[in-house]
Amino acid sequence: MTHDAFLDDVAAYALGSLRATDAARVREHLRLCPQCAAEYAALSEATTALAMGAQACQTGENGPQVSAFLKGRIMRDVRATLDGDRRVDAPSMRSHAATWPAYFTAAACLAIALIATASNFWLASRLSQARQDAAAMQTMLADTASAQARRIAVHDGDVIVRDGRVYIAMHDMTQPPKGMVYQAWTLARGAKTVAPSLTFMPDAQGVAIVAVPMDARALAAVAVSVEPAGGSKAPTTKPIAFAAIE
Amino acid sequence: MEDASLLMARVVARDTKAFEQLYDAYGRLVYGIALRMLGDVGAAEDVTQAVFLKIWTAPERFREGNFAGWIARVSRNRALDVLRSVSAHATAELPETLPEDEPMEATAFANLDAIRVRRALAELPPEQRDPIEMGFFGGLTHEEMARRSGVPLGTIKTRIRSGLGRLRAALSESVTV
Repeated sequence: MTHDAFLDDVAAYALGSLRATDAARVREHLRLCPQCAAEYAALSEATTALAMGAQACQTGENGPQVSAFLKGRIMRDVRATLDGDRRVDAPSMRSHAATWPAYFTAAACLAIALIATASNFWLASRLSQARQDAAAMQTMLADTASAQARRIAVHDGDVIVRDGRVYIAMHDMTQPPKGMVYQAWTLARGAKTVAPSLTFMPDAQGVAIVAVPMDARALAAVAVSVEPAGGSKAPTTKPIAFAAIE
Repeated sequence: MEDASLLMARVVARDTKAFEQLYDAYGRLVYGIALRMLGDVGAAEDVTQAVFLKIWTAPERFREGNFAGWIARVSRNRALDVLRSVSAHATAELPETLPEDEPMEATAFANLDAIRVRRALAELPPEQRDPIEMGFFGGLTHEEMARRSGVPLGTIKTRIRSGLGRLRAALSESVTV
């Protein structure tokens, strides 16, 4: 590729229209080539300006305007996190305070449902299975609420590790397109490719908690991507969340 | 308004008044980008809410420099996530999100008004303006643009580069540094 052609790619990179693999190549080149780095800096200014051009209108102007209620919604959420800070009084929990109640509610509802379901089973084997599930749910509740758990922030959530158990806890998830599901992936220590794990869907509030059926001590990373229903053998889309555990 | 970097320093210290000032100054920018990309008021509000809550919960992700450029990138990336989740993009080529963690130099373009930018953009020839808008706001890769328009890939790339350069030059003329 000529240098001039590379500069075309630099422009596409500044615009954000390169595929991830091409972008990685350009990023590497920018580290080594001052001329392209200067071009990138200049064109990045243009893309910033492009964004400024989309700014919504002020009150009284013609054009799209921001709802006055939106600020109230945001400030209410912000103040709720402050309330959470005071309750939790632990710096590491600050950024999660607003979402944890949703996780707990979702997990508690599942636990109650499982226990209630168990009480109606006549067959001993089913009852046994339901009790195991309820016990697993209680463990999940204890682990995700534990101050000793390690939390690794990912996009819209956390990967939580405690005593070798791994959970993916996410909030604000959109429902995947029809025929698609979310799928967890695991990368074993020393492995070069990820292995498929559970598929799952968020609840109506966009919350999902998944217990990854692997020992955390054997894992280097976990990830989540959107995949066709039934899951894939290898990721077909870019992960929406990735957490290095090692 | 107080400098955005100073406001962010106060946000790190959990100052809700500073956060409110940031929203007042940049809420229209975030919402405008999201609305332009998603075309849906509710989705644009959700993105705006998510972006500002992310700023509140993880303010340290902003490093020194051009706050407007940084928040524009965060907003664009967040809206792109939504586009991917609701469209065929989930299984097609995925465009790169703009890097959020690299230091952004302060720029004379940080405080441009929207009308001036729109005017400069409107003055670009359509063959340059269209791929720039499709790439930035539509979340298309240049391969997708080439396929949709029937224009060769190399030509699309060159037009993006020429258009961005021209846009920058036009805005430089109208900015007093």
